[in-house]
Amino acid sequence: MNCNDCIEKLDRYVDRELNAVEVVELKLHLEGCPPCADQYEFQANLSRLVKRSCECDEAPPAFREKLRQILL
Amino acid sequence: MAESPARTAFAEEALTHLDTLYRGALRLTRDPDQAQDLVQEAYLRALRYQHSYQQGTNMKAWLFAIMRNLFWDRFKGSRKEDVSLDDVGEFVLYDKLRDEGAKPEADVLDKLAASEVVRAVEKLPPLHREVVLLVDVEGFSYKDAAQTLGVPIGTVMSRLHRARQQLQKSLYDYAVESGIVHGNGAQGVPQT
Repeated sequence: MNCNDCIEKLDRYVDRELNAVEVVELKLHLEGCPPCADQYEFQANLSRLVKRSCECDEAPPAFREKLRQILL
Repeated sequence: MAESPARTAFAEEALTHLDTLYRGALRLTRDPDQAQDLVQEAYLRALRYQHSYQQGTNMKAWLFAIMRNLFWDRFKGSRKEDVSLDDVGEFVLYDKLRDEGAKPEADVLDKLAASEVVRAVEKLPPLHREVVLLVDVEGFSYKDAAQTLGVPIGTVMSRLHRARQQLQKSLYDYAVESGIVHGNGAQGVPQT
C-alpha cells in the first residue's frame, strides 16, 4: 500500500468500514509511515471531536416523563 | 388506558433510544420545542406502525428513519429544495494546516469549542447534516445509515465526504476568525 491508497482509505478506516484484509494492510502502512500515521490521528481526533460535541445533548427529563405518560 | 404488555414492552424498548432521536431532531430542526414535537410525533407513529417493525432488526435506525421522514414531511415540505452545499472543493483541514505550517496540527482541534463544532454541523444542509449525525455522532455503519435514509451506500459515502469537507472548511474559517490559526496557518497561541 502506498500513501495515496492509505489516505484514500483513512475515512473508511476511522468509520470501521474496511474489511479485515484492508485493515491489516493499512495498519502495516501506518506503522511504517509517520506522516500517514499523523494524518490518521488527526482524522480520528476530528471524528471524536464531532461526536463528543454533538452527543452531549440529552432529552430533557420533563420531556422524557411526558413521553412515558403518553406511550406507556 | 391499560395498554397490552407487548405494546408496553415495545414502547419501553423504543424509549431507550430517546436521546439519539432527540439529538437528531434537535440538530435537524435547530429548535428544542420543534425537536420535542417531532420526537413525540415520531414515537406516536412508531407505535401506530409497530407491526411493521421486524424484531431483531435495528430499532434505533427504524425510529430515526421515522423521525427524519417526519422532519422532511413537516418542516421542509420538499426534500428537493435541500441538495445544495457550498462547493468548497477538496478541502482537507489537516492538509490546510500542514501546508500553512500550523504545527502540531492536532493542537488546533484541542482549541475548537464544542459549541462551534455543533454550529458547523448545523450549518450543513439537512441532507448532509443527517448523514454526519448518523455516522459520526451515532456511530451507524454506512449500511445502516443507507437503510435509514433510503439511499444507496454510495450516496451515504458521497454525502458524508462532501459534508466533512464543508465541516472542515467551517472549522478552519472559525479557527482563523477566532485567532486559533492565522490566515497563513501560524497558530495564534505562542509556541513554547
